[in-house]
Amino acid sequence: MYVSIKSPLSFLLLLAINTSVVPAQADGVLPGLSALSEADIREYAIAFVNMSTSPGLEGAALTVDNDERHSDQWRSSLGFNAEFTLKDHIFNGYWGMAVVGGRLEDSIEFIADNGNPVQLDVTREVVGLRGSLGLSFPIDKYFKLRPFLSLILSDMQSEVILDDQFVLDYNLPTNRINNSAQMWSTVGSLEALYTRWYGNYQLQLSGQYHLIYTKSFSEDNPILQDTEDWNDAAQLKIKFIGPTRLSSAGRPWQWNAYTNYTNFLSTNEASLGYNDFFEIGAGLDWEINIKPLDWFGWQFLGIKAGLIVGENVEGYSVGLTAR
Amino acid sequence: MSRLIFLIIGICLLLSACVQSPDIKGDGYAFIKSNYPVVSVNGVEVEPSYTLDIPAGENTLVIVYHTYRHDYYCTFTWTAAEGTAYEVTDQYNKYPLTLYRWVRQNRFLSLRVYPIDPLKCSQEPRR
Repeated sequence: MYVSIKSPLSFLLLLAINTSVVPAQADGVLPGLSALSEADIREYAIAFVNMSTSPGLEGAALTVDNDERHSDQWRSSLGFNAEFTLKDHIFNGYWGMAVVGGRLEDSIEFIADNGNPVQLDVTREVVGLRGSLGLSFPIDKYFKLRPFLSLILSDMQSEVILDDQFVLDYNLPTNRINNSAQMWSTVGSLEALYTRWYGNYQLQLSGQYHLIYTKSFSEDNPILQDTEDWNDAAQLKIKFIGPTRLSSAGRPWQWNAYTNYTNFLSTNEASLGYNDFFEIGAGLDWEINIKPLDWFGWQFLGIKAGLIVGENVEGYSVGLTAR
Repeated sequence: MSRLIFLIIGICLLLSACVQSPDIKGDGYAFIKSNYPVVSVNGVEVEPSYTLDIPAGENTLVIVYHTYRHDYYCTFTWTAAEGTAYEVTDQYNKYPLTLYRWVRQNRFLSLRVYPIDPLKCSQEPRR
């Protein structure tokens, strides 16, 4: 489908090409795109990295499909968080490590100033390593406050493909542009966790706020060459856990039902087509209760499946869980 | 290349030393490790301690789970097997603390098995 080239929200992707990938071209190479600022382009790239790597996020496949764009995004993480005892203190330590990854396939069509339709495809991939360290303050046996700091190092690769006719119309040197950027993000997080038992059933309520500072470096993308951005995000999670009659190797299984709400508060919705969504799902957890290297307790290994819905986004989440 | 081999061997040696059974005092004893301080053993108050040799047989331990509003004094009574290690930790279970039997599975892994809840956890104002 086609959209007006004057519609700024639809053309963040195009901006990425215009400004970052063909830096030698003057304004007007992609006519009409100058309405979009460098800040929009930077935010588009950083939003993708944040939505793939921030703490508190779980694996998901997301689709944005509207009149102006079609995009598929997935993210995945493999990691673990745990508390450790600080003897002679009321508070405990908290740490976490994760390998995170994400991919975005964004496709958009527009009408250039010469009236011809233009197809633009953007593919981004990110791989990152996240480490977290913080404290856990038990207020009483139900309620904990957990401030922690995360450092995320990530590498993003981007590829932009323009359709051939557009390249001919504007005498561009190529229709395919690749670039990369390296980013480090520092995330300050505060989590409030409330846990309560009702008979054999457990209710877990969690609220998280993340303040994210991202610094990017790139040798081939001027917009991300040496820049920074601030974002914040909030999450609310509700989980209800109950026993089952199942057991394996003498260890019981639990069922759970959950709902989460995630909002990237300061991220422009135009960047990825959404900035908040709900997830509702269910899972089964097997109580393994092991201590790898006799270091940290790993109590449950589970599977889960969830549906994701939002104003402009839908998707699903299927995967393994560990806690 | 030789450096890499030494590095791998070093990591293997390091990992092989990770999960070690505790030194238990001797015949007629068991061992307990707690993430929270043990303050009473079989009715006798003791200096807060995180590791203890305890006699095999029935034991009653009081372990304190501290929070900023309250202290929870959790009383565990169970029959400790000779030469066996136990571990007390907090795990979002029904009570603030849970007692497990600690088992060395292999050099990489230990297990927490046979959970025991405390008989009671008395809530007291924070001292």
